Amino acid sequence: MAEDLNWAVGGEAGDGIDSTGKIFAQALSRAGRHVFTSKDFASRIRGGYTAYKIRTSVDQVQSVVDRLDILVALTQRTIDENLDELHEGSAIIYDGERSWEADIPDDAAAVDVPLKSLAEDAGGAIMRNIVALGAACEITSFDVEYLDEALEKRFGGKGSKIVENNKEAARLGQEYVQENYDLDLGYDLETTDNDYVLLNGNEAIGMGALAAGCRFYAGYPITPATSIMEYLTGRIEDYGGHVVQAEDELSAINMALGAARSGARSMTATSGAGIDLMTETFGLVATSETPLVITDVQRSGPSTGMPTKQEQGDLNMALYGGHGEVPRFIVTPTSISECFWKTVEAFNLAEKYQTPVFLVSDLAMSVTEQTFEPETFDMDDVEIDRGKLVDEDEVEEWLDSQGRFRAHAVTDDGVSPRAIPGTTEGAHMSTGLEHDELGRRTEEQDERVQQVDKRSRKVETAKEQEEWDYREFGDADADNLVISWGSNEGALIEALEYLEDDGIDVRIISVPYIFPRPDLSDEIDAADDTIVVECNATGQFADVIEHDVLTRVKRINKYTGVRFKADELADEIADKLSQEVPAQ
Amino acid sequence: MSSQSDVRFTDFKSDKQPTWCPGCGDFGTMNGMMKGLAETGNDPDNTFVVAGIGCSGKIGTYMHSYALHGVHGRALPVGTGVKMARPDIEVMVAGGDGDGYSIGSGHFVHAVRRNVDMSYVVMDNRIYGLTKGQASPTSRSDFETSTTPEGPKQPPVNPLALALASGATFIAQSFASDALRHQEIIQEAIEHDGFGFVNVFSPCVTFNDVDTYDYFRDSLVDLQEDEDHDATNYEDAKEVILDADKEYQGIMYQDENSVPYHEQHGVTEDMSEIPDGAPEDAMDLVREFY
Repeated sequence: MAEDLNWAVGGEAGDGIDSTGKIFAQALSRAGRHVFTSKDFASRIRGGYTAYKIRTSVDQVQSVVDRLDILVALTQRTIDENLDELHEGSAIIYDGERSWEADIPDDAAAVDVPLKSLAEDAGGAIMRNIVALGAACEITSFDVEYLDEALEKRFGGKGSKIVENNKEAARLGQEYVQENYDLDLGYDLETTDNDYVLLNGNEAIGMGALAAGCRFYAGYPITPATSIMEYLTGRIEDYGGHVVQAEDELSAINMALGAARSGARSMTATSGAGIDLMTETFGLVATSETPLVITDVQRSGPSTGMPTKQEQGDLNMALYGGHGEVPRFIVTPTSISECFWKTVEAFNLAEKYQTPVFLVSDLAMSVTEQTFEPETFDMDDVEIDRGKLVDEDEVEEWLDSQGRFRAHAVTDDGVSPRAIPGTTEGAHMSTGLEHDELGRRTEEQDERVQQVDKRSRKVETAKEQEEWDYREFGDADADNLVISWGSNEGALIEALEYLEDDGIDVRIISVPYIFPRPDLSDEIDAADDTIVVECNATGQFADVIEHDVLTRVKRINKYTGVRFKADELADEIADKLSQEVPAQ
Repeated sequence: MSSQSDVRFTDFKSDKQPTWCPGCGDFGTMNGMMKGLAETGNDPDNTFVVAGIGCSGKIGTYMHSYALHGVHGRALPVGTGVKMARPDIEVMVAGGDGDGYSIGSGHFVHAVRRNVDMSYVVMDNRIYGLTKGQASPTSRSDFETSTTPEGPKQPPVNPLALALASGATFIAQSFASDALRHQEIIQEAIEHDGFGFVNVFSPCVTFNDVDTYDYFRDSLVDLQEDEDHDATNYEDAKEVILDADKEYQGIMYQDENSVPYHEQHGVTEDMSEIPDGAPEDAMDLVREFY
């Protein structure tokens, strides 16, 4: 892999860290470089510590590593928080004129730039971060014109004067370093002619929803799911859709349910704490056989947990949440681009099998931006399958002898016809009560069993008709098998390289479906060692796999609130492989 | 779809016989709803009835239309979603005082604020009937029940005042036994441009021996007969709504300038119709991320 550069800007919440980082990431993307970003942030509007980190290379990057090359530090805490990642050859850009005494580690290059004064020279102190970006360009031999492009994109809507001022601020930062420092740290950011798009997992989910024909979204703001709602707002209207901010998650899922019952492709998104509330209505969605996509962007729990930290702790809730027994589908995108495709798939599954589909993502993917070839999201490949939606003519064959529509008709494949309001002769009721074929309450034993079996049959049908493939990386013949779900995939792929250097061959299986899910019995049988990697403390997916294959597996669990890093993961895998398999 | 003249109110009746207690106010309430829907030109295939949980919630089974019998307290959000996705569909939400003013009270406030163009009929019997006689949010403070042997000792919720405080554009009250007036009021609620809220006195003959048919017959004041009451006047509305000494029937308040949600937000499309693939210009969505 080509040389990568790890860059970060950090300060207090309210310092504009996020937008500064995003501008630099966009500049790198415009220069045809791949980018992978991550964020350290807290649940507060002002103060504290927040950072935006970028890993960039001309090759694709899909993980963070434990190394920081260039750090723009607006506070001392930014430096302190990252001491372990700084190294000989790191450069720290800071403003020596600010009130804090910078304590720079000995082996890093201290680049003192009067950010505020230079920004004022360019037209306003608010642009001090842009001065720092100009300085960063100089240190990394990166053409400041790419930064200009990103500034135009960011500030273009605010008028040419603002754009010009920002460009000037960048120039002043660049020139200041040029004139006052003679650094040779060896950073030289190569550029390419490639055009990339830069987006995060939540944007990919939102875009996937629009591509899939989602027209209605109801949600209640919650970190880290809100940005899906924000993405859709202002865009879904172009397609005749609507986003509504509900009074709570109880309402959000019921609104989404109402829209789905009237025929719209409908979605709600939340995080685990919101899923707790939505679980109340989950059973109704399932038993009324309503197609609905419920997105859970997981964050650290339980209760309020660590709201801005990574965790994959909701798998059991998605699998088992809610009273009673009813099938649910669970789709778990494993990368940012897969957030798009799995969203499209979730809408199709929901309508084909008239069932709620959990789309389970996580915080790490939701805030991480990554570059892709635009063709990764080729809209011509989007297929829409609305399942057994019946029109006026087709309704007829589903009427009973008295002319009543059999909305829950017992069929071989378990899927019934679906008539939406406005369809003549299709009027029917649905209910959370156990019901007969007409949707009317029943406590007759035969009808109860028929309906339970019918709903379960949908899963059997789906298992036969759909591909429930896993994604595979590394050496398919390796004796060492590593299984993962969700956002760990990127770090695992990059860990392969480190493991290879140590002479360790690994086969990686990344699972995007939790229910129904691929049968991994043969793969696990064929391996000498199986490790399940996930960001939770108890190993929820490992439990599921052990249950499936009746074999003990090794586990790597991380629940610090921070996602896996490639180098860290490689070390842990090597370490686990050297240990005994746990007792049966 | 049938034309207006073809529709009879019995078309909205299912063949399922109600299991409500003989004499239950909900019979009269439902008749008025069916007649109101038929009289306003709707038919079962373009009507969506949402029902909550409780005796009132059974209404979806006894009426014939598109319907969802949902989770306790969440009927209004379901109706909201139906109407937003399908502005062409007539939406009527039905529930009881427990469903609407207790477990669903949060949704009530916000549904009122949103002013979605649908009607909301609450069968208020001032008791929990289906669970066999516990205090409801509209029970009198001295009303003795199995869970409140000395009465709830807290004032009943005034749903009309709650609606007014939440910015309602249509507030009315009717009595299930006054069939003609009840139906007229329901019709007004359906035809109102916005959220048409009707609290219906729907006596429980089994568990409530205080708020009975006789009580309402004797005490009800019909605002139609009060020449001084102007429903379009907010102060007039406030006066009758906050009058704790009387029980009123009629339209308390109607905002003539009501602008329903779909007009406020430009939500006018039939969202059930989508293309066979991604929208034609969908690659523009990708290009935004350059």
